Amino acid sequence: MQPLNITLVAGSIGAGKTTWIQQQVHTTAETVIYLSLDAGETAVDSTYLAAEVPGLTVLSAVQLANFLEHPTDGCVVYLELGFHIDLNSIILPDPMADCRRVAVLPPGTRHTEWHGWADVVVTGAEASITLRQPHLWRSALSGQVLDSASLNTFWYELTNGAYGTIQRAKGIFDVADGRSLYFDFVAGLPETTDMELNLPRWLNGRPDRFSGIEIVGEALGQTAIAQTLKDCCLDEQAIAYYQQQIKDLIEQGEEVA
Amino acid sequence: MKVAVMSCIHGNYEALNAVLSDIDDQSADKIYCLGDLVGYGPHPNAVVEMIRALDIPTCQGCWDEDIVEGLNSCECSYPSVLAEKRGKQAHEWTDQVIHPEVREFLAQLPLSLRDDNLCFVHGSPHNQHEYLMPEVDAFVALERVLVTGADILFCGHTHVPYVRSLDAGQLQIRVKSTGTTERDVSFSAPLKRIVNAGSVGEPRHGRPNATYVIYNTDADQITLREVEYDYQKTCAAIIDNGLPPIFAWRLARGLEFAERADDPTHVCER
Ligand SMILES: [Zn+2]
Ligand SMILES: [Zn+2]
Repeated sequence: MQPLNITLVAGSIGAGKTTWIQQQVHTTAETVIYLSLDAGETAVDSTYLAAEVPGLTVLSAVQLANFLEHPTDGCVVYLELGFHIDLNSIILPDPMADCRRVAVLPPGTRHTEWHGWADVVVTGAEASITLRQPHLWRSALSGQVLDSASLNTFWYELTNGAYGTIQRAKGIFDVADGRSLYFDFVAGLPETTDMELNLPRWLNGRPDRFSGIEIVGEALGQTAIAQTLKDCCLDEQAIAYYQQQIKDLIEQGEEVA
Repeated sequence: MKVAVMSCIHGNYEALNAVLSDIDDQSADKIYCLGDLVGYGPHPNAVVEMIRALDIPTCQGCWDEDIVEGLNSCECSYPSVLAEKRGKQAHEWTDQVIHPEVREFLAQLPLSLRDDNLCFVHGSPHNQHEYLMPEVDAFVALERVLVTGADILFCGHTHVPYVRSLDAGQLQIRVKSTGTTERDVSFSAPLKRIVNAGSVGEPRHGRPNATYVIYNTDADQITLREVEYDYQKTCAAIIDNGLPPIFAWRLARGLEFAERADDPTHVCER
């Protein structure tokens, strides 16, 4: 049996860990397995990669343990570590002991704990601000359907500082027309528009799939963020109404925008 | 003669004061107000008392009506569920703090005012809730002026100031009546104008500054005025009075408190 091809990916906020992994996946012909080590319930990155990268399998921590016991040949594994995970505290299972360690860091970064830890340092995106006390706030929204106009207003307010200084924000939201949208913001980088994930339209009640948000920032108004998100959500009746409209359009053979 | 026209103060007392002193500096002879004295902002009572004390002729705005009649606007008047929830919060807050005599004053405001060839309304001559956006179809726009019989129609409600000249000259309309065939009717209309006064207390032009207009009747000239004021005071009062802090954030950026409706000519048939 060949040794396992495992890469641990760490790095600072917004430097582009997920983007780097995505690029690697595009250049390999092998089956790719991905796991975010600290995602818990809010799996924005894994959901995004699973929807956008064909041939990529997302594993939970339990599934990974099973995989390590009975590995499949010809697999490459990427493990993403959150910026707030203490690198020295990670205890790796035996089969992973001699994996490759990659740190994705902004240009010009020197003498960080990542440098001591990594085998390879990859130059990622420029970081425009460095927070003194970065705080991570997450919320799972699975089952909620948001009104698009409200979501756009919320995202504009959030990324323009209405709820504290934001360094990084990403989210996956189910909207009224059944689509699942991916939003991504890095302070200092040009504003990106939201993108539709490659997932089927959900037109039968509350979506049974992941949606949620992750924010890294300082002085975050968590209560206000949570309240505003709640105020963007549609009630049962509205969800049914919009879903019916889309179904009718599809039935009439019309292109649904 | 100089006529100053302002609209949409929305309980922003600081902005009103700044506009009134600018009107004074411009030595305007008359002032008209197009309504929305209350709603969103922290000082609805003080704004109404000031307008009353100065005896400024005022027509009833959409918010003034809602405070009197109760909020029963359909959801279509809000562009999003978030804007609707924020609008309702603002309505409830205003409804609680407003003095009985202020409510009575708002109740008796007329829907339109006339001064010679000038007409003043809040939204449109048809309804306080109708938005006459600058890009509204020329025919619709002209109809709104013609129905008043005036030459210049002053309106507010959109919170974006503009002047629009309607020199359509020859207009053609197709009349379809039951039993007869369609026929084309042409008529020519002299130059008409729609002037939107913008908003004193809740601008949406990307800056917090108040806007209003001055019409010089002798020179037949319309001037849009943009007035700076201490908006931080209003922002602080919003927070101190328990209104949602996001209102202060949006006001400081000239984004309005909530948002306007998307469909510019939609009128709710309630
Ligand atoms: Zn208004
Ligand atoms: Zn109005």
